[in-house]
Amino acid sequence: MIARVIRRLSLRGLTLAVLALFLIATIATGLSILAANRVTVAQLVDRRIAAIADVVLERDAGEGVPATATLLARMAQLAGERDTGDVGLVLQGADGRVLGGNIRLRRLLPPGLSDLRTRDGITGLSHGRALVRDAGTGRRLTVVAETEPLDSYRSARTRIYLIGFGSIILIVVGGILAFSRLVGRRIAEQRATVEAIIAGDIRHRVPVTGSADEFDRQAAAFNRMLDRIGELMEAMRGQSHDIAHDLRTPLARLRAQLAAMAAEASRPDQAARATDALAQCDTLLAMFAALLRIAEIESGHRQAGFAPFDLPALVEDTATMMMPVAEEAGHQIMVAVERSAISFIGDRQLLTQTLVNLIGNAIKYGRAAGTIRVTLGVTQEGWTLSVADDGPGIAAEDHAQALRRFGRLDQARSATGHGLGLPLVDAVARLHHGRLVLGDAAPGLIVSLILPRA
Amino acid sequence: MSLHLILVEDDAAYAEGLAAELRGLGHRVEHVGDGRQALAAIDREQYDAVILDRMMPRLDGLSVVETLRERGITVPIIMLTALSMASDKVDGLEAGADDYVVKPVEPEELNARIHAVLRGRRWTTRESDTIRAGDIVVSPTSFRAWRGGQPITLANLELKLLTELARHAGEVLTRAMLIERVWGYDFEPETNIVDVYIRRLRIKLTEAGEEDPIETIRGIGYSLKP
Repeated sequence: MIARVIRRLSLRGLTLAVLALFLIATIATGLSILAANRVTVAQLVDRRIAAIADVVLERDAGEGVPATATLLARMAQLAGERDTGDVGLVLQGADGRVLGGNIRLRRLLPPGLSDLRTRDGITGLSHGRALVRDAGTGRRLTVVAETEPLDSYRSARTRIYLIGFGSIILIVVGGILAFSRLVGRRIAEQRATVEAIIAGDIRHRVPVTGSADEFDRQAAAFNRMLDRIGELMEAMRGQSHDIAHDLRTPLARLRAQLAAMAAEASRPDQAARATDALAQCDTLLAMFAALLRIAEIESGHRQAGFAPFDLPALVEDTATMMMPVAEEAGHQIMVAVERSAISFIGDRQLLTQTLVNLIGNAIKYGRAAGTIRVTLGVTQEGWTLSVADDGPGIAAEDHAQALRRFGRLDQARSATGHGLGLPLVDAVARLHHGRLVLGDAAPGLIVSLILPRA
Repeated sequence: MSLHLILVEDDAAYAEGLAAELRGLGHRVEHVGDGRQALAAIDREQYDAVILDRMMPRLDGLSVVETLRERGITVPIIMLTALSMASDKVDGLEAGADDYVVKPVEPEELNARIHAVLRGRRWTTRESDTIRAGDIVVSPTSFRAWRGGQPITLANLELKLLTELARHAGEVLTRAMLIERVWGYDFEPETNIVDVYIRRLRIKLTEAGEEDPIETIRGIGYSLKP
């Protein structure tokens, strides 16, 4: 149970819990010691005044109750001695009249043991104990002793306790806070590294202080892991080039042969089949190009080439350029571009490719003789570039699937694509710290690229 | 046109295949395995063009281009590489290469690019603004074109396309080359943009019932009749 609670605590929570426990324990210890000290001193003083009372009231063998004079003589003797000289003694008669003694009482003390305070008005006594004993024939003997060996002993003791326990608390609290700060800082360094890597900078590493402590060992292990991932990624990149190299060459040859077959076919059905095969070959080649392009974007290298450019003009020009392509397929393109004073910083080629791809998709999947709407708007967040068609669209529950690589949707979108178009656009959006949103154009699909301001 | 080419490529098997295919297109091809041998060979002999692999042992492709250009040797160079990143391409062209092709490349594509570079050299040495191809005249600086003396109204992109075709009249321009040079894209769009614009250009060039001046090279690209 406790283990589970501890595991669930945050670093901050754990620090606060340990601090609270420590404070409670320290303060309780201090108070207990203080209380025990007081009780012990009171007991010792009680024993001492009881012994003194015994001496005063002692009956000699064969005698009755000691006479008042005897008692007063004994009291005087005790008051005169060095080790009992600090003790206050008073003998009162049955009528309460003081018969003798070295102190004055302001109130009638109860029989037996009791506490004394400054308000009891006994000169030189701030805290003490009193014992009232029956001295026979109605007389009362009161013995009084201080529980403080020195003047202002209590305040001195309190000061000592405050300084002692206070400094312990300060040292420990400071230590715990410094410790949690240190732990928090080292963990923050690791987190910064992870964030940098998520942002695409795989070369980032956790700083190592050289102290060879647990954190350094952890950082070193983490960095080794990153090195290994880097190597694997590099190998994978190399491999994708190899794949492109090894598979594209035979594909290119195959394509040339199919083109020749389509051209030379004697029967129309043969020509049609060769043309069909040629189209499939082109899809495969396009798939390689898209895969390599996504790999290039995700490597983050292209961010080095980011430059400011006129995004509204690019959107207008590209949409205009695509108009004849759309017209041939029986569609029309409507463009609405909002101008803005803020310039866009990014990769011109990738945004052009994105828009060409999105309009190409809209032509491919939109309603026959439909309208494709290309809009660029400026919002608080930044730019929103949208391409909407009025085709069957994609059901909301399939949106996530559409953004997955090779996640081509079977029925709604015909079987001509290679399933890398939207993932490529998504990669472009992420490279620009933006995101891709699929929506319902009612009817149709609206694909929006949200690009934040730089 | 038979050309004398030097192929600089460290991957012997790949080089052999490519050299055989280029010979099949009627060229004389010599093959060397690294940058130093390439520099020595170019010192010794006159080549029409250099096909240069980018990554090689001893002396890499970029250094070869830089060295040749520093020595004032202006032989056309086409870089051939497995690196497809845009930044690699810029590096190669900045070093002084004339064109940059990503492996694998079809021999027809490479052939078209070699001829385009050679033709481009000849064209730039001519101090003329207007380009002629058959009965077609294009003036890129004044954004105008004529066929048989009659002005043709072309949109900006159509004019750029016709200019590029006219500049390389008689040569094959592949779809990839046109996308690069006319559209200025560093990617190949998956839509048939080039074919659509060629069709539009054809319609405008044959409005008065003239013969179609653009030849389709199936599976490769287009060529304007000279």
